Amino acid sequence: MTFDGKILLVDDEAHVRKFVGLIARTLGNPTLIEAGNGADALDIYQREKPDVVLLDVNMPILDGIGTLRELKKIDPEAVVIMLTSLANRQTVEESLELGASNYLRKDTPKDEIAKRLRETLEAIFGSEENADRPA
Amino acid sequence: MPSTDNSSAPDLRGRKILIVDDDRLNIRILSGILHGEGYVLADVDSGERALEVYPQFQPDLVLMDVMMSGINGFDTSRQLKAIYGDDAAPIIFITAKTEADNVVEGLRVGGVDYLPKPFRANEAVARIRTHLANRLLSAQQKSLVEQLSRANAAKNRFLGMAAHDLRNPLASIRGLAEFLQDPMLGTLNAEQLDLVKTIQTTSHQMLDMVNELLDVATIESGEMKIHTEPTSLAELVAKSVHLMGMEASKKKTQLTLLPPPSLPPLALDPAKMRQVIDNLLSNAIKYSPPVSNITISLSIADNHVRFSVRDQGPGIPEGERDKLFKDFGRLSVKPTGGEKSTGLGLAICRNIVEAHNGTVTAENMPGGGCEFRVNLPITA
Repeated sequence: MTFDGKILLVDDEAHVRKFVGLIARTLGNPTLIEAGNGADALDIYQREKPDVVLLDVNMPILDGIGTLRELKKIDPEAVVIMLTSLANRQTVEESLELGASNYLRKDTPKDEIAKRLRETLEAIFGSEENADRPA
Repeated sequence: MPSTDNSSAPDLRGRKILIVDDDRLNIRILSGILHGEGYVLADVDSGERALEVYPQFQPDLVLMDVMMSGINGFDTSRQLKAIYGDDAAPIIFITAKTEADNVVEGLRVGGVDYLPKPFRANEAVARIRTHLANRLLSAQQKSLVEQLSRANAAKNRFLGMAAHDLRNPLASIRGLAEFLQDPMLGTLNAEQLDLVKTIQTTSHQMLDMVNELLDVATIESGEMKIHTEPTSLAELVAKSVHLMGMEASKKKTQLTLLPPPSLPPLALDPAKMRQVIDNLLSNAIKYSPPVSNITISLSIADNHVRFSVRDQGPGIPEGERDKLFKDFGRLSVKPTGGEKSTGLGLAICRNIVEAHNGTVTAENMPGGGCEFRVNLPITA
């Protein structure tokens, strides 16, 4: 599949946004929007209505779990995939319970992350040619 | 006069002794005997008064008569132990010669020694010194242990924080170096490609080292939790052998997995056990001479499953065996391909295996090389 939808990438570390952004580009031709913290992410989400949110867990001010909770209040259908470094089991389980679709370990090699992201998006949007969010 | 004769003995001047006796004469005699030792003395004439005075005076030692009107010495001792537990001052009972049988009871209720009446001054002084010194030394030891364990916890917190903060940047450096090699972003010439590959492998090695530091910090702080599920060890091993085989082939080292017997599923934390298997295989590859064979086998015996890795490396130098499974226990043996090692891998393995109620051992083999063995219990 190729993914040409709109992705909101939320991480407080610019180098991670750069790295994960490149991974997203391997999926197709997505539109990338970035946020450096959870509070900004909520504003941008409402304005831009992205198809997918890639959301870091460890962030100052409003962490990933808190942001996820707020996002789901704004839009229960929001598609959120968590970004973790050490896959902290408790955090992962909590985010899945709160409605995150999956999690990506950003400390694994790029091809592994890309594969997992592609499979997750296929499972959500189907594996058709263009996976823009169904109307 | 300050005593300087015996420099190895701790200075006991100023130690506090509580004398509990309803006989004024005994108190006078004991005070006389102890005069000149530099102790601070207090005396009371009953067990009841002893219990009252104890918390304010906070003695380092109690000399206690057994036979007293009111509650007797043994009962007073029992109560002190009940209130102050192991922190209670040691108690030496004052007994008449005829009460020798009671010594046993006295020791049972928390006494550390007894002084028979009539007192022999030299003996009394020596016994009291010994018990005061023991008390002082054990308090010092306890506080030292507390200080050390606080320092160790601080070290682990620091290690954990440092490792945590280094991981993300390293992972990004590695990932971005991977992308530089991706034709998606254009092509590099051969020399540039070689440099970028070096950045990638170097940051990859650093990430492994940082992960090991973080593992140790987690394990030592007692935060390592294992989540077991029925797991096929044979499958884990096969996956690991397959992946590590690529690493090995760079050194022309052959990994041979012997066909495993039929094994029951084991209660394992698959991610953690995979770490153990990877580590043992990667060690075998690291320390093997190029162009050698590593044999991996699984067997079953005595309600245990054994996973073994046998290499043709230099083996474990005699005398360094006890360092093998300890933190930073790097041996004099060096990796044969310039690989990096923190010396933490085997300590982590041991911790993980032990958390599964298993054991990990290493043996030098008669024909050369050594064999690492992980034994894991089969639980119903």
